[in-house]
Amino acid sequence: MSIKRSALKGIAVAAVASFALTACGGGGSEAAPSETLNTEEDVTIVFNWWGNDDRADKYEEAIDLFEKEYPNITVQTGFQAWDDYWSSRNTEAAGSSLPDVMQMDLSYLRQYGSTNQLLNLDGQIGTALDVDGLDSSLLDAGKLDGSQYGIATSSNTLAMFYNPDLLEQVGVEPLDPDYTWDDLNTFITDVSAAGASMDPVIYGSVDYTGTFWFFLQWLVQQGIEPFTEDGQLNFTREDMAEWLNTAEPIRTPVDATYPIARGTQLLPLGGFTVNETASEMSWDNFLAGYSADSGSDNLQMLPIPSNADGEKKMFLKPSMLLSASANSEHPAAAATLIDFLINDPEVGRIFGTSKGVPAVQAQRDAMVLEEGSVDARVVAYEESVAEFATEAAPLPVQGFGTIEAEFKRLGEEFAYRNITVDQFVDQWFSEAEMSVGQG
Amino acid sequence: MTSVLQKHVATPDDRPDDLDRSAELRREARKRSLVKAAVFHVLVLAVAAVILYPALWMLMSSLKPSNEIVGNISLIPENASFANFTKALGGIGGVSFWTFFGNSLFLAVMSVIGVILSATITAYAFARIEFPGRKVWFSLMIATLLLPFHVVIIPQYIMFNELGLVNTFVPLLIGKFLAAEAFFVFLMVQFMRNLPRELDEAARIDGAGHVRIFRSIMLPLMKPPVMTASIFAFIWSWNDFFGPLLYLKKPDLFSLPVALRIYVDQTTTSDYGAQMAMAVLALVPVLLFFIIFQRFIVEGVSTQGLKG
Amino acid sequence: MSLTAEATGNRTAPPTKGSQARRSRRAAETRAGYAFLTPWLLGFVLLTAGPMLASLYLAFTNYNLFSAPEWIGFDNFTRMFSDPQYLQSVKVTSIYVLVGTPIKLAAALAVAMLLNTKRRGQGAYRSIFYAPSLIGASVSIAIVWKAMFIDDGVVDQIGQVFGREPGGWVGNPSMTMPMMVLLTVWQFGAPMVIFLAGLKQVPNELYEAAEMDGAGSVRKFLRITLPMLSPVLFFNLLLETIHSFQIFGSAFIISGGTGGPAGSTLFYTLYLYRRGFVDFQMGYAAAMAWVLVLVVGIITFIFFKTSKSWVHYSGETK
Repeated sequence: MSIKRSALKGIAVAAVASFALTACGGGGSEAAPSETLNTEEDVTIVFNWWGNDDRADKYEEAIDLFEKEYPNITVQTGFQAWDDYWSSRNTEAAGSSLPDVMQMDLSYLRQYGSTNQLLNLDGQIGTALDVDGLDSSLLDAGKLDGSQYGIATSSNTLAMFYNPDLLEQVGVEPLDPDYTWDDLNTFITDVSAAGASMDPVIYGSVDYTGTFWFFLQWLVQQGIEPFTEDGQLNFTREDMAEWLNTAEPIRTPVDATYPIARGTQLLPLGGFTVNETASEMSWDNFLAGYSADSGSDNLQMLPIPSNADGEKKMFLKPSMLLSASANSEHPAAAATLIDFLINDPEVGRIFGTSKGVPAVQAQRDAMVLEEGSVDARVVAYEESVAEFATEAAPLPVQGFGTIEAEFKRLGEEFAYRNITVDQFVDQWFSEAEMSVGQG
Repeated sequence: MTSVLQKHVATPDDRPDDLDRSAELRREARKRSLVKAAVFHVLVLAVAAVILYPALWMLMSSLKPSNEIVGNISLIPENASFANFTKALGGIGGVSFWTFFGNSLFLAVMSVIGVILSATITAYAFARIEFPGRKVWFSLMIATLLLPFHVVIIPQYIMFNELGLVNTFVPLLIGKFLAAEAFFVFLMVQFMRNLPRELDEAARIDGAGHVRIFRSIMLPLMKPPVMTASIFAFIWSWNDFFGPLLYLKKPDLFSLPVALRIYVDQTTTSDYGAQMAMAVLALVPVLLFFIIFQRFIVEGVSTQGLKG
Repeated sequence: MSLTAEATGNRTAPPTKGSQARRSRRAAETRAGYAFLTPWLLGFVLLTAGPMLASLYLAFTNYNLFSAPEWIGFDNFTRMFSDPQYLQSVKVTSIYVLVGTPIKLAAALAVAMLLNTKRRGQGAYRSIFYAPSLIGASVSIAIVWKAMFIDDGVVDQIGQVFGREPGGWVGNPSMTMPMMVLLTVWQFGAPMVIFLAGLKQVPNELYEAAEMDGAGSVRKFLRITLPMLSPVLFFNLLLETIHSFQIFGSAFIISGGTGGPAGSTLFYTLYLYRRGFVDFQMGYAAAMAWVLVLVVGIITFIFFKTSKSWVHYSGETK
């Protein structure tokens, strides 16, 4: 009996220990003091990013350069695929052990910034961190409540990609730059009709309403700010339903959208990159990947469709940012690395536009812009739509990752015709209620 | 039948006919059994061919260039080459294939060591020592065989995270050293129960304590279940995906299954050739183990199942 | 060393001293027992019992790893039953268990009976059939399976020969379950080997006697084989069922971690993983885990209770 009792006690102790450990929530911390870099002291910092092996190679090259210039700083690198990357960061955040420097995305900036996980870079700006080369609106995009938590490395904006060779095959004219959403629907229907008899069948595009960021862009076009200052949703169910219904003309009477069953199997490629759809809306810096995958170096870009008033109301957003951990033991070294990565011209040359158009002019100038090269075309595109980029980028709310993924999942269910528009909206909003602004 | 017997007892001049008749019967019987054997082998070979096809397809595809793989039913490669393997061995983003291989190997070997150490010791307690509470603990242990792991992974993860052990091999190995896998303990216990107690008693009389009995008498006799356990512990650790997925975050710590998954998830290409090659490479040790030990493994599984 | 003294004491001392010696011997045994059991006890408390209790607690909170858990009562459980993805995961897993397990065991039994001969090559065949069980759940095979079942893939081509519509199974929400069932059935080797061993234990005399009574194959099977195999059948059925509830790796790889397309491969474990380790809604995931434990517990209980009526332990087993 006593053995049983002591055993039970042991279990209870272990359970309590487990509770205690789980209850130790994330630690909050203040903005770090401005500590200057001590070039005598050997330090090691950890730097993580998401991406594929191509990006990994580029980063390794850039880090080598950095370590040559700052021999006292050793950088431990690590990278993962997008999903795993954020899983890991979440775990680390809970243990207050984020990497010293990490690649940051706008969709998570608020989540990590407002929970005191990120270093307040104001303390480093002007000393280790030089941000003069950045456009002020890009710089502002990395701010929360007036403090700097991320530095944009590069920018991107939405673009409508199309494949002129495929269009020629099906005999449909490309769109004019000032086309509207209605024009887009007509275009897609025409291409799918003309391409139906070909082998393989050519389609106009996938159902473009299934991507969350496009919905946000459309909201901005309607004059609606997607999120409020304090991190809540600022749009209604009707807004979402209206968006989903804008593509109704390409679904009925004839379904002109690229078959979802095919698309699913092609992952990570898609209809556009296997040359079976003629157009695709996406971020402009995807040109490199699209060109490589499709094998075509003739892909063209148009701005996104105009709204009924003929306005585009596009926004330029940081394609990614660099942030530092609030619990870093070497904030100055971390800031130095960030400074190097955003400012050093060689780094600009190494990456080109693979992460987006570099935020700092010196890096843009250092890019080898061969006539007709991918980098040149992306830069040219962004310059050409500069006049349309009149809006500020929406700052995603906490829980953005989850609601973005949920939108995508529902888009897939919808494409399989398993749910209706109303069901889509209902399910998304219930998920959003649970995930937005928590914690 | 009786008539034949009677015939045999009958006159001598019947005998030559009987001999012919029975010879003929024997010939027919042989033919029938040959036909039966042929049918058996054809049937079984047909099933075996279907069963083996996916594995063979994987192997053969790894020798084909990517564009020849997907729709190709035929196993014979048109342009066989090892190019895919070269690519797969190149690793991912600066981390070489051999690093992944080494990680998997380390995890598997340590798992085997941990399992053998902890399972034998635990089994000895259950099988050979009388102590209060033994039955209760034993039942609890058996119950864990039926327990879905989902109910422990979250707190385990939280605990390891708080202790800063995520991104190390510790969470993946500690259970092995603490006999957390009841299957192995059960295997050992069943075997031990069949060992004659006289050995223990003789040793006891000679003054040996449990430790000595365990070390000098039990362990040497435990070779069969130890072998079975080692093989399974190795293979299960090698193939483990969920654990490494949760706990290994840095590329230079990845085990093969996790590395393989990243390889497949690359956003630039779906290079089937390289995927197949890496899949083959990841399975080589398991297949090797199997080929060498197959008799043993299969025997181990069948006897274990009977006692269940 | 003290054991020696106790041992001799046991045999030569008078009764009163003997019982004292017995008691101290028992104490020593107890100490030894617990000494040997320490690793397992430690593991049990730290890795099983402790976490189980902790997750039971978490199931009633909204813990998300970032901040301290907040008690929310039964909210997680009520959420489950109106969560379309949860219901989908239950449906997908149930179909998989209810369809896959019987087919797998039937195949295992059929092939075991086929192989239950003294013919040459039987050992080799047995090994060949067993091999998939060792690699079937691996990431490598999941990749191969996906490559075989996609559009224009091997299975698609073969299907077209048999008159099926062209189209792979991976992107088709109604064909992904057959694909997953095929994967598990492919691994029938493990239960087959166990059935084979069980079949070998059935005494031939029983069959011979039945033959003399004029019993055909079907009757022999139903009246002799099945009852004699029932303990093995029970064992296989129980383990396979519980095992198939926990499928994760293959579904993860084939669907790219999403459980798609359209949730058709959203197995329970996969959904739990997504909620717990991607969305970090750990309270919710813990609640899901406990529901699974309860369901498996009930099923196990039913199995054991009903086994008395159909599992036939003849005197000679063991």
